[in-house]
Amino acid sequence: MPGDRAAGGTTIALLASELRVLLRRGRTWAMFGALAAIPVLLALVVFFSASPPGPGEGPPLLDKVTQNGMFVSVTALVVTTPLFLPLTISVVSGDAIAGEAGLGTLRYLLVAPAGRLRLLVVKYAGAAVFAVLAPAVVLLVGWAIGSALFGVGEATLLSGDVIGPGGALARSALVALHVAISMLGLSAIGLFASTLTTVGVGAMAATAVLAVVAQVLGQLDQLAWLHPWLFTHHWLGMMDLLREPISFSGLTDNLVLQAGYLAFFGALAYGRFTTKDVLS
Amino acid sequence: MTRTWTRWLPAAAVPVVVAASVTLAGSSAGADELPDRTPEQVLTLLASHDHQPLSGEFTQTSDLGLPSLPGDLPGTDDATTGVLTALDLIDSDHTGRVFVGEQDQARVQVFDTFGERDVIVDGDQAWFYDSGDDTATHLTAPENAEDAEHTQQTPTLTPEQLAQHVIEAADPSTALTIGENVQVAGRTAYDLVLTPRSTDTLVGQVSIAVDGETGLPLQVTITARGQSDPALQVGYTSLDLTAPDAGLFDFTPPSGTTVEEVTPGQHDGQGIAPGEQSPVEHVGTGWDSVLLAPAGTLDLSSQPVLAQLTTAVDGGHAVSTNLLSLLITDDGQVRLGAVPVEALQAVR
Repeated sequence: MPGDRAAGGTTIALLASELRVLLRRGRTWAMFGALAAIPVLLALVVFFSASPPGPGEGPPLLDKVTQNGMFVSVTALVVTTPLFLPLTISVVSGDAIAGEAGLGTLRYLLVAPAGRLRLLVVKYAGAAVFAVLAPAVVLLVGWAIGSALFGVGEATLLSGDVIGPGGALARSALVALHVAISMLGLSAIGLFASTLTTVGVGAMAATAVLAVVAQVLGQLDQLAWLHPWLFTHHWLGMMDLLREPISFSGLTDNLVLQAGYLAFFGALAYGRFTTKDVLS
Repeated sequence: MTRTWTRWLPAAAVPVVVAASVTLAGSSAGADELPDRTPEQVLTLLASHDHQPLSGEFTQTSDLGLPSLPGDLPGTDDATTGVLTALDLIDSDHTGRVFVGEQDQARVQVFDTFGERDVIVDGDQAWFYDSGDDTATHLTAPENAEDAEHTQQTPTLTPEQLAQHVIEAADPSTALTIGENVQVAGRTAYDLVLTPRSTDTLVGQVSIAVDGETGLPLQVTITARGQSDPALQVGYTSLDLTAPDAGLFDFTPPSGTTVEEVTPGQHDGQGIAPGEQSPVEHVGTGWDSVLLAPAGTLDLSSQPVLAQLTTAVDGGHAVSTNLLSLLITDDGQVRLGAVPVEALQAVR
């Protein structure tokens, strides 16, 4: 539990302890389990349905699943990106500071000198590791169930070109990377929200709501000028990785955008966390 | 805690840095100087550009002011779907890529969120592929088509002559000027501006960005009269002047795709046979000209979707956009022009 670790020590030790706590929590594994259920459900439904989905039916690329099991991963990642994944990210990042404050363990973490900035960095790093692990779980479970049920074969890209199994493997891994990058900005927002309150649930809910609101704003044509500035703008840009020749512009644009959000909300979190009174 | 405000400095600095870098990126426009040229010289440059292998990304933005189109409607026939697809291609924003290889190899990709539409041309073969519904259309040019094309081009004009012809033809209706040099896809380009002399047309101005180095057209912008934002803009966002991988032009439809084979020239009934007069008439000159399709072309009552798009006006139903107007008269005549609806109603 969060309280039973040593405060202080080197940053690496602090990070290691943070990750240990993260990965020992039942909550983390429950969220991994829920995420892993999505590719399994998708694959089972397609496998047992009498008529395979036709072109353009159901979630994106579902019709390609029977051709190459690896597309289970891609479809599951696309399905989880708008809601399920941001929810889990909100839980981890929103709880980062507020959770410790709520439990009364925050002040023990801050006894080391210059502790606040370092704690913030470590907390963010923990959330970022989760943001990488969560899509990786979807990816790996998708690979496993997809190749078991549908086998591994040639894959058709959006451009109509056909690539071999190795290429398909690499592309789906890149899709997972894109999704992980997409969650970095949201993690920073969650961290900032987490410094505002001592009620972890409040910060989690605020972060999750923001993720949904940003996506709703992204649907409104009247706000087209705002769209490139929304952290959700490139969330579904992973499709560019399934074109031939592969287009990295979505991935790099996303990286720049998320870095901007990380810088801004990271700085806000720093401003808030280093100036607030920690009473609990 | 007297200096706590300094802890907020980073949070204030980040937006400033972002704003500064965005402004800097925008203001680097026109960094390269190009020699001054007259409109005629720019036209010559445009006409004389050599075959240039390239790969580039493009965006199209449209603000035509069309009513938003219904996405998927039950009970629409193929023709209506075709019209709606065409309207969607013009009216909505798109990004995509263009690849040009050897002399007659080209590939255009239009990106959809979860799909892609491809046109691939390789010699006398052409493919259209739509990943959305997994269909492909294969066009094979007739054997002698290429020869016919060559003979048609025999009276060759030099680029200078061509530019001269264009200017002479355009002059009565259009003023040609050169605007400030523009930056498109990181390249400096001449801005060739075509301004209609007529005040009846909806078109305010058309500007073509002509690459100062290669003469390639990089961007076309159409602005409606009285509007400041472009009604339609297509241009490169990045451009690479090296030959793309030749394999890109060798398209084999993936298994499971519905393939339709089409050989132009073997059409029966559809299209216009050579020698036959096109039924579409042309009224007026220059920018004010109106295309007329004869009575009975379109019966709105059998086209519920189109009926939904149009509004009832005197003498028929009309669609008006910032750039184009369409009038379907009560007897089924179709009138189209870059003029206000009133001008369409006034024809004859």
